[in-house]
Amino acid sequence: MLQFILKRLLLAVPTLVAVLTVVFVLVRVVPGDPTIVILGDQASESARADLRGKLGLDKPIVVQYLAFMGQIATGDIGRSLTTNRPVLEDVAHVLPYTIELTLAAVAIGVGVGVPLGVMAARRRDGVADWLARIVSLAGVSFPAFVSGILLLIAFAVQLRWFPVISTPRTGGLLDRLGALVLPALNLGLLMVAYVTRVTRSGMLKALGEDYVRTARAKGMPARVVVWRHALRNVLVPVVTVVGLYLGVLIGNAVLTEIVFNRPGLGKLIVTALTQRDYSLLQGLMVVSAFAIVVANVLTDIAYGLVDPRVSAQ
Amino acid sequence: MRRFLFAAATLALLAAGPALAQAPTGKSLTIGMAAADVSQLDPFRATSTQDKPVVSWIFNGLVRFKPGSTSLETLEPDLAESWTRSDDGRTWTFALRKGVKFHGGYGEMTADDVVFSLKRAADPKTSSFSTDYAAFETVEAVDPSTVRITLKHPVPSLLGLVANYHGGNVLSRKAVEALGNDFRLKPIGTGPFAFAEYKPNESVRLTANPDYFRGTPKLGGILYRLIPADAARDLAFTSGELDIVYGRQDQRWAERFAREPDVSVDIVRPAELALLHLNISHKPLDDVRVRRAIAHAISQAQIVQFKGASVTEPAVSIIPKGYLGTDDKAPLPAYDLAKAKALLAEAGHPNGLTLTAIQTSLPTMLTAMQIVQGQLKKAGIDLKLDVVDHQTFHAQIRKDLSDAVYYAAARFPVADTYLTQFFDSASTVATPTAVTNFSHCNAADAEIRKARTEPDPERQKALWKEAQVKIIEQVCAVPLSEGLQVWAHKKSVDYGYDFKGAIHLGPVITEATDKK
Repeated sequence: MLQFILKRLLLAVPTLVAVLTVVFVLVRVVPGDPTIVILGDQASESARADLRGKLGLDKPIVVQYLAFMGQIATGDIGRSLTTNRPVLEDVAHVLPYTIELTLAAVAIGVGVGVPLGVMAARRRDGVADWLARIVSLAGVSFPAFVSGILLLIAFAVQLRWFPVISTPRTGGLLDRLGALVLPALNLGLLMVAYVTRVTRSGMLKALGEDYVRTARAKGMPARVVVWRHALRNVLVPVVTVVGLYLGVLIGNAVLTEIVFNRPGLGKLIVTALTQRDYSLLQGLMVVSAFAIVVANVLTDIAYGLVDPRVSAQ
Repeated sequence: MRRFLFAAATLALLAAGPALAQAPTGKSLTIGMAAADVSQLDPFRATSTQDKPVVSWIFNGLVRFKPGSTSLETLEPDLAESWTRSDDGRTWTFALRKGVKFHGGYGEMTADDVVFSLKRAADPKTSSFSTDYAAFETVEAVDPSTVRITLKHPVPSLLGLVANYHGGNVLSRKAVEALGNDFRLKPIGTGPFAFAEYKPNESVRLTANPDYFRGTPKLGGILYRLIPADAARDLAFTSGELDIVYGRQDQRWAERFAREPDVSVDIVRPAELALLHLNISHKPLDDVRVRRAIAHAISQAQIVQFKGASVTEPAVSIIPKGYLGTDDKAPLPAYDLAKAKALLAEAGHPNGLTLTAIQTSLPTMLTAMQIVQGQLKKAGIDLKLDVVDHQTFHAQIRKDLSDAVYYAAARFPVADTYLTQFFDSASTVATPTAVTNFSHCNAADAEIRKARTEPDPERQKALWKEAQVKIIEQVCAVPLSEGLQVWAHKKSVDYGYDFKGAIHLGPVITEATDKK
């Protein structure tokens, strides 16, 4: 297992280099000037030129690229151009928020999506099936900022159960959980939609298989047949969806983070981009590319757990 | 099984919801700002709308704008108790208040700190406002509580340069030297509130300064929340999580919140003057007749009507209303479509012409430009908008790539600042001394420069007036409208003064500000 994980991580190195190269080139091709953010719009051009020199932005792009890659190779992901804070410090601040939001969304997605999908498949074309399909279609079609605002109006402004500003204030457990519920629901509902659909179609197929008929013929209770035998075979595509989604969630929870005013990796990336903070953006890309690699490794491990045939290979 | 436990935990969480609702904030004030992050809290670099209010709560100047006022006429003592001016107007001597302490244990404020701060403000390497201090010859500490400023030539509005605004803020020398680069997000001043914590993308927290020289603030602190999404900010204000909120420059927004029983809407100056700068180095805008045609084709009244008369006003000149030296009766071209068409025909464009403008995608600025686009269309001018993101816009307009530039700004309320940055040819974009002269205007260089060193205030005003007339006549820029600032606060907040103006682009929070 350890060898497998190490191999996967090593394979990630070329991916990281490619991602970084693309990001490095892209942010410099896009017009923009970090000195406008740093010095404000009243500074003169000569002051800007001075600062560009100080930041090394006036050097040829190849020199900047080599310097950057050399720095990454030593494990230093640099400092923000605008705030001069170490990128790692900013990442360390937002990462716990991103991780807890991602995990909570996945928990909701799987915890609600799988039973819903199973139920829909067992009552195919029944009321429950139609309801589950409508809910999942709605979940997929709603943009995150619309569902987010609706959740806020209902639960934060009308009912006042949860805060509008989903940034914990005190850091206490209840406070953290309270600030997590609505954003996690918002992201989780989208995932519920996907998981329900995958589970439903997998389950429909599984329920028609020979082994299911055999199990039933043996007189096994329907509950055991569905949840223990059929579901196990349905979980492989579910894990695939969750794994793919995990990667998407890490960097793309940004709309949810903005609407619920929650710190997070996605939001930090967008701010770095709008401020043309090249070094922060590059550092964040290293972190998020790495996170996606880790998410993929976790997915592969999960395959082994739900399907012993995968580990055997 | 674990999955179901997760689900059960989530449901339990939902059920426990009501208990989790946020507790009241006590006597701390929570303010919601429309920005993703602060950029700079070093007063000499802070030019963004979101940075300036925070700086104003932390720092003092030798004199200060009266809380709620934007007028240079009513400046009052701050860190200086009194001052004298020599007969020739070139030497100013300030007697400092004694026993004023810097935040964070950085010791007593002395003349040395004032000298250090003013020199730092005048240095382009450390200050974005260095040109404002070009007339300073020497700044010296006569003794620990006396500062003497000697000028190269008299500056009638000198007090404005040592006020609690931009380069006039007094920093702790020790803190700047000890913190180095970190000072920009760990500011140390003498004001009623001390910097406590910055969380990127999230908030800035300040705590009351118990040693504040005007007395301990009534509030315990300020939590400045950065909430870029308009809808989320409004909802947080409605739900009571914010005491004060940055509003939208939109009449419907102001009217909607004015109807709430526990809310007061504040519509205040200084206004941001929106100008359409016409690049006279680009053809066919090099022909003054074409520029005049554009000026006659634009109706300020229509723009004001569209944006709402309570949050927008027509501009009076190419400098915002109320600045020292603004010509309130400047000869602006009247809206006259027939005249516009006639001028175009005379300039050899009877069938109209096409212009391209690089424009930001920020909604308020984009819609304003779309109104202009519609108006110009009626005169046969096809204004193509090249819409890009805000940072790209800022970079490209400074590279001289746009025929016309929409730019809205408020500046230090003296005519010289606006004239110098936008209309002095030395500030022309894409030159080493560039600031924001997008039009390549050089119509009034002599008047602008002469006024800068003119000792007689009346003569100076006359020169500024002359400069405005010439710039308007040459149509370097067409005034579009003045946008006022819109804020709202819960009635439980008592500012402790009449909130009519916000020179720092946000409400001043003083030792007297309180929350019921």
